[in-house]
Amino acid sequence: MVLTRTCTWGVLLGLAALPGLALANSEVIKLSQDAKNWAMQAGNMQNHRYSALKQISTDNVKDLRVAWTFSTGVLRGHEGGPLVIGDMLYIHSPFPNKVFAIALADQQIKWKYEPKQDPTVIPVMCCDTVNRGLAYADGKIFLQQADTNLVALDAKTGKELWKVKNGDPKKGETNTNAPHVFKDKVITGISGGEFGVRGYVAAYDIKTGKQVWKAYSTGPDAEMLMDPDKTMTWTDGRMAPVGRDSSLKTWQGDQWKIGGGTTWGWYSYDPKLNLMYYGSGNPSTWNPVQRPGDNKWSMTIWARDVDTGQAKWVYQMTPHDEWDFDGINEMILADGISVKGKPHNVVVHFDRNGFGYTLDRTTGELLVAAKYDPKVNWATHVDMKTGRPQVVSKYSTQAQGADVNTKGICPAALGSKDQQPAAYNPANKMFYVPTNHVCMDYEPFKVEYTAGQPFVGATLSMFPAPGSHGGMGNFIVWDAGTGKIVKSKPEKFSVWSGALVTAGGVACYGTLEGYLKCVDANDIGKELYKFKTPSGIIGNVNTWEYKGKQYIGVLSGIGGWAGIGLAAGLEKDTDGLGAVGGYKELKNYTELGGVLTVFSLP
Amino acid sequence: MNVTKTGWAAAMAIALAGLGLGLAVAADDKPYQVAEGNKVDKTTLEGWRTWRALACERCHGARQEGMVGPSLIESLKQLSKDEFKQSVLKGRVEKGMPNFDGSKMVVENIDGLYAYLKGRSDGAIQPGRLEELK
Repeated sequence: MVLTRTCTWGVLLGLAALPGLALANSEVIKLSQDAKNWAMQAGNMQNHRYSALKQISTDNVKDLRVAWTFSTGVLRGHEGGPLVIGDMLYIHSPFPNKVFAIALADQQIKWKYEPKQDPTVIPVMCCDTVNRGLAYADGKIFLQQADTNLVALDAKTGKELWKVKNGDPKKGETNTNAPHVFKDKVITGISGGEFGVRGYVAAYDIKTGKQVWKAYSTGPDAEMLMDPDKTMTWTDGRMAPVGRDSSLKTWQGDQWKIGGGTTWGWYSYDPKLNLMYYGSGNPSTWNPVQRPGDNKWSMTIWARDVDTGQAKWVYQMTPHDEWDFDGINEMILADGISVKGKPHNVVVHFDRNGFGYTLDRTTGELLVAAKYDPKVNWATHVDMKTGRPQVVSKYSTQAQGADVNTKGICPAALGSKDQQPAAYNPANKMFYVPTNHVCMDYEPFKVEYTAGQPFVGATLSMFPAPGSHGGMGNFIVWDAGTGKIVKSKPEKFSVWSGALVTAGGVACYGTLEGYLKCVDANDIGKELYKFKTPSGIIGNVNTWEYKGKQYIGVLSGIGGWAGIGLAAGLEKDTDGLGAVGGYKELKNYTELGGVLTVFSLP
Repeated sequence: MNVTKTGWAAAMAIALAGLGLGLAVAADDKPYQVAEGNKVDKTTLEGWRTWRALACERCHGARQEGMVGPSLIESLKQLSKDEFKQSVLKGRVEKGMPNFDGSKMVVENIDGLYAYLKGRSDGAIQPGRLEELK
């Protein structure tokens, strides 16, 4: 209501001089506040993956049945999920990044877009040719292609309105992330941490595609859009300015130029603070011995002003990464989270490194950092004064050194959680988190950089967390105020699917075997429904309403890092048997192939 | 420790050779020499290092068993050396195989890479870490 009025006033006051400015933002916020739509990949700007719909409830979810299905015609890993705006559904595919607009009335394809892309990007894409989905604003569908082209399509016709090149695949730069529309900008990142890409985020005008700002994760202050005096970070128990050359000082020589810190995760936006939140990934290479220093600002939570790109605050979670614990996972914004009796508006982040972080999102203060998988062993804890993880030497691949196989590190490189986004229920203030339960052996070795060539420098072997339930995943409920696991439901494989939680009291997620599962949100141990979709699920579960009926939709299509198989054997034939018996067993359950499955009550 | 182990290995190799069961293979049609499954000649060792440095296992699997990319255990039974070189250096881009002619390491060690993978395909070389055959 308030927003509508603001919009109207905006128009009346003649924002013609500022075309579409706050309007696009208001439009998307308004669309996402109407639970009938699923207008953003995470449902809203706060990355909640929550729906106020309650037709499907704990009582009747057992009666769900398949309403319709749709094949994308593409093999390989299908991440992300459908957008629904009014009577249209928009769905994407992995490379070649097809886009389909489907009428909900009769499931007819209204239009299809298939870009012509240089196939040389395929081999450059790390961990499969996934794409995490589309964005909508201002009557446009935004597609972030693998070859880094960012495209705006007319949502009604599929006509290309503008196209802009965001990176250079010849240098190993590709895109897998979903674009995010905040305010009048479409914001995107870059992938290629395994090719020595220097990470950045860039903002483009939704009307024209013109680049408005670009901010690197590493390098000189000006190129990171960082103010040495005003950009703050957690220092000795309080917020203090980062100071001059805060990145440059933490790298040897020019290594920051090929230093990683890529940005392919799920960003969020706080309209009141006008700040966007995202994480930067691992430093390149994976051999820590080769790149001394803290390698700032890889592995960092960033808060940036959406208009200028200026960094308001930063927090580095894993200084000098030794395990490939990318910091790119989703940033979830929650209000009134009580930490030690005091309410805060926070950003919550489940990092690959196995710690769940709660920070005051206005100031950047570190409030909570706690393990969300009890098996995490590479650090004993995060020192709350310095904000630094206390690394255990036995699991430090730096301390053990290059050409040494450091064994039994938990979690594995794919993290206690990878990109698969968690859901937040504002009603009970709980987080529903799809997790991995996998450990690894890690042997770093020296590598030399060649532009466009892999720059990895470590051999890994992964296996289910020892001394546990034998599975490789858990679906958990997390209390971000106390940093405690409330409940954990074991899964055979990593839960590599974005969760959904609804006002109907159900939480849903997909599994690598291919099941869509819905559980009681108040007691996730109670599995209320499961259905075997055509392939393993690494997509995210979304929900919408059409003509009075609630639907749940999820992409299946095995692939991605977990799905392409992680069997390994570093020394002897038998060493990798854990992994062989682990992900390899997926072959007994599923094959490739992308399908959207849509569920409803009868 | 290492010296002892190497010494023992050498003694074994000699002993086995003496029994006519030499594990060090150097027949003309074999581009590699290997003993005990994990000790190889220098060229083959550099081939393995190249395999590792270019992260080939990300597509072909740590045991060359195939993942997104094909099984090289199988492919190396089919491909001639020239076809192998062509595939690696020029790539099969449409299928996701990059052209590695831009990598100095691959260009310089292509023979060793072939030798290593041929040894893996033949079952003569074990997966995982290798050492130099002294």
